[in-house]
Amino acid sequence: MNLMESAIEAKDLVKNFGNIVALNGASFQVRDREIFGLIGPNGAGKTTALRIISTLLKPTSGTVRVFDVDVVRTPEKVREHISYLPEEAGAYQNLSGYEYLRFMAGFYAREGNGVNEMVEEGERISGLGDRLEDRVKGYSKGMNRRLLLGRALMMRPKLAVLDEPTSGLDVLHAFHVRQTIKEFADRQGVTILLSSHNMLEVEYLCHRVALIDEGSVIAIGTPEALKDRFSSENLEQAFMEATRLG
Amino acid sequence: MGKLTTLVIKEVKELIRDPKILIGVILMPVIIFPVMGSAISVSQKSVMQAMITASFAVYSKDEGEAATALLNYIYINNTVILIERDSLEEAIVAFQDTNATTLLFIPEGYSQNVSQGLRGRLKIYANLKSMTIAETGTTDALGNVMGVYGYLLSLSKINNLLEAAGVVADPLTVRTPLSISYSTIIKGNVLEVAPSSIFSIIMTQSIMLPVMVMVMLMFAIQMAATSIAIEKEQKTLETLMTLPVGRMTILSGKLAGSIVVAIAGAIAYMIGFGYYMTSAFSFAPEMTSMSTGDVGIGLEPIGTILLGVNIFVTLVSGLALAISLATFADSVRSAQSLTGFLTVPVILPAIILMFSDLQMLPQTVQWLLLVIPYTHSIIASKAAFLGNYGIVFRSIGYISVFTIVVLYIAARIFSTERIITARFTSFSLKDLLKRH
Repeated sequence: MNLMESAIEAKDLVKNFGNIVALNGASFQVRDREIFGLIGPNGAGKTTALRIISTLLKPTSGTVRVFDVDVVRTPEKVREHISYLPEEAGAYQNLSGYEYLRFMAGFYAREGNGVNEMVEEGERISGLGDRLEDRVKGYSKGMNRRLLLGRALMMRPKLAVLDEPTSGLDVLHAFHVRQTIKEFADRQGVTILLSSHNMLEVEYLCHRVALIDEGSVIAIGTPEALKDRFSSENLEQAFMEATRLG
Repeated sequence: MGKLTTLVIKEVKELIRDPKILIGVILMPVIIFPVMGSAISVSQKSVMQAMITASFAVYSKDEGEAATALLNYIYINNTVILIERDSLEEAIVAFQDTNATTLLFIPEGYSQNVSQGLRGRLKIYANLKSMTIAETGTTDALGNVMGVYGYLLSLSKINNLLEAAGVVADPLTVRTPLSISYSTIIKGNVLEVAPSSIFSIIMTQSIMLPVMVMVMLMFAIQMAATSIAIEKEQKTLETLMTLPVGRMTILSGKLAGSIVVAIAGAIAYMIGFGYYMTSAFSFAPEMTSMSTGDVGIGLEPIGTILLGVNIFVTLVSGLALAISLATFADSVRSAQSLTGFLTVPVILPAIILMFSDLQMLPQTVQWLLLVIPYTHSIIASKAAFLGNYGIVFRSIGYISVFTIVVLYIAARIFSTERIITARFTSFSLKDLLKRH
């Protein structure tokens, strides 16, 4: 595989918060137009890795290049191509869903029509219909997440970074979110990097996954390959096996 | 639409639609001040009414000519309750059953004293039933009536004496031989008014201006801190920081949005306060009879501009300070408690300079106050009215330098990951120093 096919190149990422080691030499590569999953338990370093890729944090050492652009040296260039959905994200409570989408579109669209198109796309992705006219304050957790997913994908970023996209959602909302991500990635050819501790979700969504534990990547591959490698029926078992061996 | 405009519109919408801010910053001043003003006005008017319609009780042990003349005088202008008892003790008991608050006691021998050229002795008993201001007012009323009667009595006595001595003179000039008039010098101009009658102007300069600057600053600081803390509380900050927009633009958007709302709040405050002043003191029209223009200390155009620039840089400095502090807070409440510390340097100079001039203070206090940028903005506001533009320029310069330093720090904090990782709860000065 040559470099041009690579969306993300993370090399030897280390991140310390005081005495706490959040990432301990993690390396992985995400190919263009694939859905890539980071899976691991709470505190494994998934969110820290996503925050570094999204230019929010700087690594203590190691490098990350997004579409061949260094996230530490030129973060502003990286921000033009990415869209980040944090795990515990919210929207502005006193704006309506529409106003929120319109506000966000204002940063990406070049001209007036572009904003309208983006907002329409955001409306489609969220599937919230008329409820978008209401203030975000009255939204349920699921509606909030769908609005934010609409926001994250409506501008068709080259790379969407989604941290635990379905965490805390009920079956219906989680199903909608998963379906949307899969369809959108297929339709628009967007690269998606997501994190999850729901192994079944990852198996359903991702082309390839990295198993991450205690700040290090312990295995990378397609869900099928990983299951084969650790002689497991599902990714959950594969993960347990990988941590036991690692 | 530019990215900055998009940000400013969003900031203003978010702040204005927050019920706490809408009610606390904009609606409350417009409602609460007029209500306070009317309340004061109503109570003051009732005091005046009580004084005008006050009734007096009289107990006289003297039946002479002078006592009768005195009683007749009181009867003409007032409601009088005549108490007839055998002793003063009984009269005092009876007086307490009446609705009068004052009792005039004319002792035996009053008329004799007056006719012999001695002092006529009178005694006033005041019955404070409810211990209110209105009551003490009515107590004074009887004293005033007696004062006027005494003045008239003296004129008539002087007249009699002059006639007896065969001297031709006006009893009035004998009574008050001196006539004193006042002039006031302001900015080198001699004005034919007493200094006490330009009280309202001194009020404006010494109290209204510092209060105005202080209130606007407090609003702005609260706005800016809230606008950062809301982002953290609603978990929108992380998303905002990954958008393709410069950190300085985000910072400017927050500053501008906060300024817009703070100015709206300040206008609401001034409208409310203005209404309060006019309604609360409507019973004393002489207080507001003169304007700054009348006595020649109005603002010239250049003064107005400089005053505006001065207030603007003051606002921006407060905002920058608030934003820098609010980055360490993780909720609106912790942001407000953090920025609460800022009230000290804002309120301290305002209060001190309300009652005194900087030069009157001890040297150390002067230096201490001069370090605080808000001292300069208050001094400059006063100086602008008096035409001392040098002081205004000095203030603008000092506050600008201060603001640039603070803004630089705010921008630095904004461009590091501290904005994401900093938490008030885990904030320690030692850590901060170590990291630098």
